[in-house]
Amino acid sequence: MPPTEPVVITPDSVTRFAQALGLDDDGTVPPTFLISLTLPAAERLIDDPDFGLDWSRVLHREQRFAYHRELRAGAAVSCTSTIESIKSVAGNDLLALRTDVTDGEGLAAEVWTTLFVAGDPA
Amino acid sequence: MSLSELSVGETVFTTAFAVTRADLVAYADASGDQNPIHQDEAAAKAAGLPDVIAHGMYTMGLVARAVREWANGAGIDATLADFSARFAKPVVVPADGGAEVVVEGKVRKLDATSVELAMTVHSAGEKVLAPARATLAAK
Repeated sequence: MPPTEPVVITPDSVTRFAQALGLDDDGTVPPTFLISLTLPAAERLIDDPDFGLDWSRVLHREQRFAYHRELRAGAAVSCTSTIESIKSVAGNDLLALRTDVTDGEGLAAEVWTTLFVAGDPA
Repeated sequence: MSLSELSVGETVFTTAFAVTRADLVAYADASGDQNPIHQDEAAAKAAGLPDVIAHGMYTMGLVARAVREWANGAGIDATLADFSARFAKPVVVPADGGAEVVVEGKVRKLDATSVELAMTVHSAGEKVLAPARATLAAK
C-alpha cells in the first residue's frame, strides 16, 4: 500500500484531542493522537472488498507506539500501513497492523495495532 | 528529580480519573472514532456488552496523561519513546455516575538514560489494561 498523501496535523485538532483527555495543550501532539491518523490509513487495507472485514465484529486488542521524534502541531505527516500478520485462533482472527508515520525528516513514529475479529457465528 | 533517584519496583504514582458518557462523546468527536458502542447503550448491548464502554484509546490516553503529569510534577525532563497496552477488559461507563479509572505506575526498568514504567489500570474491580508500559528517555 503506498503512503497516504501528507496531512497536516492542525493545531485545532491537537487542541481538541488534548482537551478530550484533559491534557495540557503544550503544542506537542498527544501520545495517542496518531491513532486518529493511522487507523484510517490502515482501513484502506482492510476495506478492500476482497478482504471483507466487518467492523461490527472488531475489538481493539493491543496498541503500541514507538516515537522517534516529538511531533508538534503543524507537522505534515504521511502514513504507510502494512499487515504484519493474521492469526486464526479458535475461529477468530487476530490482525496485526503496522503503520509508519513519516515527516519531512523521515520516520517519526511507528504504530502497531492488533485487532481481534470475532468469527462469523453463522 | 533525575532518573538516578528512582528505584526498580517503586510505585511512583496512583492517579484516579472520573469518566462520564459526556467525556466519551467529546473523545469520539476529537478522535473520529464514532463507533456507537461508546455512546449508545442499545448499540453496546446489541454487541454483547453490558453497557456503553470507553474507547480503549481513551483509557490509554488517560494513562499517557497520568505518566505525563507524574513526569512534569517530578521535574523529570524526558520524552516518551515507547508506549504500549493490551486491552484486557472494557471500561463500562453507566449513564448514571459514570466510571472511575485508577492508574498505578511502577518503575519496571531503569538505566542512566531511560526509565520503563509498568502501569496497572483498574476500573470497577477489573484490570482493564494488562499490561501498559511506557518508556521515557531523558532529554
